Amino acid sequence: MTVDARRRPGIERALAIVAVVGGALAVVAGSPTRATRGSVDVTELARIVEHEEDHVTAVELATWIRDDKPRLRVLDIRADSEFADFHIPGATRVPLAEIARMPLDSAATYVLYSEGGTHAAQGWFLLRARGVKNVFFLRGGLYEWLEQVMNPRVASTTPQAQRDSVRALTLWFGGKMTVVDSASTTTVPSVLDGALSTPHKSDTRESIKKIRRRAC
Amino acid sequence: MIGGAPFYEFGRFGEGTSLVIAVLLGIAFGWFLEQGGMGNARKLSGQFYLTDLSVLKLMFSAIVTAMLGLFWLSWAGLLDLSRVYVPETFIAPQVVGGLIFGAGFATGGLCPGTSCVAAATGRKDGLALIAGMLAGVFVFGEASPAIGQFADSTGRGAWTLPQAFGLSYGTVVGGIVAVALGAFAGAEWLERRAERPARPMKVVA
Amino acid sequence: MSDVATTAAGQPLGTAASSRAEVTTTTRVQVRREAAPYASPYVAGVGIGVVLLLAFVLMGRGLGASGAFSSVVAAAVSTAAPSHAAGNEFYSRYLSDGAANPLRDWLVLEIIGVVIGGLASAVLAGRVRWTTERGAGITDRRRLVNAFVGGTAMGVGAKLARGCTSGLGLTGGATLSVGSWLFVIAAFVGAYATAPLLRRAWR
Repeated sequence: MTVDARRRPGIERALAIVAVVGGALAVVAGSPTRATRGSVDVTELARIVEHEEDHVTAVELATWIRDDKPRLRVLDIRADSEFADFHIPGATRVPLAEIARMPLDSAATYVLYSEGGTHAAQGWFLLRARGVKNVFFLRGGLYEWLEQVMNPRVASTTPQAQRDSVRALTLWFGGKMTVVDSASTTTVPSVLDGALSTPHKSDTRESIKKIRRRAC
Repeated sequence: MIGGAPFYEFGRFGEGTSLVIAVLLGIAFGWFLEQGGMGNARKLSGQFYLTDLSVLKLMFSAIVTAMLGLFWLSWAGLLDLSRVYVPETFIAPQVVGGLIFGAGFATGGLCPGTSCVAAATGRKDGLALIAGMLAGVFVFGEASPAIGQFADSTGRGAWTLPQAFGLSYGTVVGGIVAVALGAFAGAEWLERRAERPARPMKVVA
Repeated sequence: MSDVATTAAGQPLGTAASSRAEVTTTTRVQVRREAAPYASPYVAGVGIGVVLLLAFVLMGRGLGASGAFSSVVAAAVSTAAPSHAAGNEFYSRYLSDGAANPLRDWLVLEIIGVVIGGLASAVLAGRVRWTTERGAGITDRRRLVNAFVGGTAMGVGAKLARGCTSGLGLTGGATLSVGSWLFVIAAFVGAYATAPLLRRAWR
């Protein structure tokens, strides 16, 4: 059977208008993703990581904060509640999704940290992909901060000058340095040599509790 | 991802549900095909004699609708475009296959999807076409070892028009909308021309 | 939903011939009413576009049709000659774990839906007829042969191109796949080149 087709000029015209508007705006919008696209020079990144130019030690970061390094932005990637419990002084909480989208300050020095350092390393990669050059992360994470800045255990054999500088730094942040006699302590990294010590995987909460108890 | 679409890709539901969805989507698909007269080979073939261009209007409208939907849902952050399946490009097989397919389309008057609609509504030619399709697939299957090399040649992966033309996605979208509307205007003109009888038309059933 | 024009005597216009047909095939007529006009192709097209978009949003894939035929053929060959099917790269693609259950294939179920939806739409619109759509210029038998031959060509062409007007035309068209657009253009070229040879079949 040959049957006529119903014509709907009103609806058809409306659809055409929607299509024109949708198409014209698409040309203006350009990309169907508002998210930023990142790109990385993998060779360059590999070189940076190998030369350990991607991260800072807790002591280095602490020194920057104490010396009021200009345009330093310390970013905490952990959850809200964890941030509220304790965070590095001067840090702001920015989840990874925000890191991917946030407006960037080209003159700033970004330092990212997380509990153990892995998420911060991922955030570092994201910012590098977004074109940021002055970005570092705390490789040992908050553990390292607590171990080396808030609760450093210094061997009694450490030179006096070094012990003094560590104590000064620790006190500045309200921490406490402990001098230990035995050899089974982690060496305290000197601000001068910048070497990184392996942080104890002690419970962050325990360390924070100890700090709290000390406070007035 | 705010919207979390495509939902199946994000593990929102399993295979069983996806099969139910397949049937439901198919029902809607079949419904609209029949509503548009695509289950009728005589109406459909009018496309190739420029008397009834419903095929062009229907297909292009569908493409433009879904295309705009994909763009704007992605732009709004509701859909992850990178997880949407883009049919791969195999230049030579798809051009040659297209030519052969088109010849069959004009001969049969229906395509694979619409043949099912035709058969469902009692059209014997739809059934014959389905039988032919099964035979054709079988022939291809048996011949595939021999022509496999050609069939797998000139692959370009999920190559898209924006990539090929070096234009932004949005520009291509806008361009296709413009082409579609132009095609629709042309189609209307051709149909009006076909309606003006050069000789008396038979009223046929 | 019936707004068919009628003569003064109440006889539906434009359906004189179909009334004649109904007289000779009354026992097999399933429709109770005259066929309603088709919907606007633009509106139907947008409807399909929405369905296609839903497929993308829900499943991350588009619609298709020819793939269902492949699954059926692969399953049939696998049942009749399992080792032959397993050794054939094309059939194996549609078989998983050596045994195929077409009923678990997404496209097969979609096609089942197409059948249901198409039938439902036709029933409500009074367009179901057990007949052969053809021009007056050829016989039923000739038309069925044409349909079979055309179907065979489309089966080969669709498998070569890895899709058809639904899988490549609609899905590939909407996702801006280059090969899909090439396929559609080639298909229209092939069709327009072939159509003049079959003019009598449709008149």
